[in-house]
Amino acid sequence: MTGPGAAELEIPRGRLVRSRVGVASAFEAAFSRELTGYARIEPDSLLADGEPGVVTFAEGVPRAAYCERAAGRGERRVDSHEPGSGDQPIKSDSRGVDALATLAGPGPCSVELYELPADALAAVHDAPEFSVPPGAPAEQLADDPALADRARERAPDDAHDGDASALESFLEDEERIAAIQQEARAEAEQRAAEWGLDGELE
Amino acid sequence: MVEALAVASGKGGVGKTTSTLALGMALADEYDVTVVDADTGMANLCFHTGLADADTTLQDLLLADSNAAVEDAVYDRFGLSLVPCGTSLAAFRDADPTRLRAVVAELAADTDVLLLDSAAALGSQSAVLPLVLADRTVVVLQPTIPSLSDGLKVQEYARSYGTETAGVLFNRVQDDAAIDRVAEQAERYFGGPTLATIPESDAARAARRAGEPLLAYAPDTAAAAAYRRAADRLDLQDGDEDAVADRFRSAVIPEPP
Repeated sequence: MTGPGAAELEIPRGRLVRSRVGVASAFEAAFSRELTGYARIEPDSLLADGEPGVVTFAEGVPRAAYCERAAGRGERRVDSHEPGSGDQPIKSDSRGVDALATLAGPGPCSVELYELPADALAAVHDAPEFSVPPGAPAEQLADDPALADRARERAPDDAHDGDASALESFLEDEERIAAIQQEARAEAEQRAAEWGLDGELE
Repeated sequence: MVEALAVASGKGGVGKTTSTLALGMALADEYDVTVVDADTGMANLCFHTGLADADTTLQDLLLADSNAAVEDAVYDRFGLSLVPCGTSLAAFRDADPTRLRAVVAELAADTDVLLLDSAAALGSQSAVLPLVLADRTVVVLQPTIPSLSDGLKVQEYARSYGTETAGVLFNRVQDDAAIDRVAEQAERYFGGPTLATIPESDAARAARRAGEPLLAYAPDTAAAAAYRRAADRLDLQDGDEDAVADRFRSAVIPEPP
């Protein structure tokens, strides 16, 4: 990957302005420095396959999202897509609120912030398929409702306000939820042994 | 009859204590209700109920050399029997979390409904114990992916000890249009029904500042009404109070960590 995402998301590589671990602090930094550019998010969780995603910003407010992985790992029809094939789009990535759902969930992430001139993002910010509500990334990825409120306040009036939600996309992903449940069950049983509670497991 | 319910969330900030007290007050119209602040690491029930200066709390009952009686830590307020937990770090350090079993057993013998306000994070034996001791859990969620993920995790922890989900509360709801779809989808993954969706409410924050439960401070708000609907939907199960108390007492008592 040379830029922040796949070929369909045409964003040139920006200037690295901050490298942090943790989505919440990265989004806070993007907001306070009024970043125009993008955050490259690399999940560290075993659940996440390690495939990166991107959230773009205009003056610190989230505008678009993309992830190289599709929601529902088992539903992915091919391992890599071939841009420009001219056929139906192959569902090997996720966009907009679907991308947020794919990136959200348990586990830490490594995040880098990059700066770009606004015109370098114009094409992506004009494409509705990548668009996200201004508060959604802070709410769904960073678990920071206060930052989400500030992002909504700063957002322009014509910001994304569609019905589709990242949460609904997350809840549709039965495989992902089954993976969360299995991981939690295994963790619970392991900890029960550590805490001397294993005699009470069912 | 008695049923012990753990009120759990998996993450902080969802309004778990507000919800525990609101459910308790709504259920108190029909039942004798005891609310225990079982979140011993981050106790805050006392701040919601004007009991920040209570002389004897759950912390005293959990000390190995305690000579406090359980009844000394029970306060009758707002139509509830409240067992607050103190906020002393030293007492938290010295507490023996396994003594919670005996405390709960004694409380269970003398009430209809026992609500255990549980820890947000699942990082210690004392945090998990309410899920082990309860008959069922009420999971409090906010309509966000992190909250749902953590709620699913809490449910699995509880289920691994045979504690099933009695129902789910969606709290601090801002988007009324989407929440019905979200709640319907979420019901596929949670063991119990959606008890109610509670709108985001300034009154909840004001009630906390005033040191009163929401249903006492602002009983006519939409949020208070939603909590009453949740209590109506909570299908309490008859249990034999002696059997419940025995279960707590006879459970294997582990060594402290």
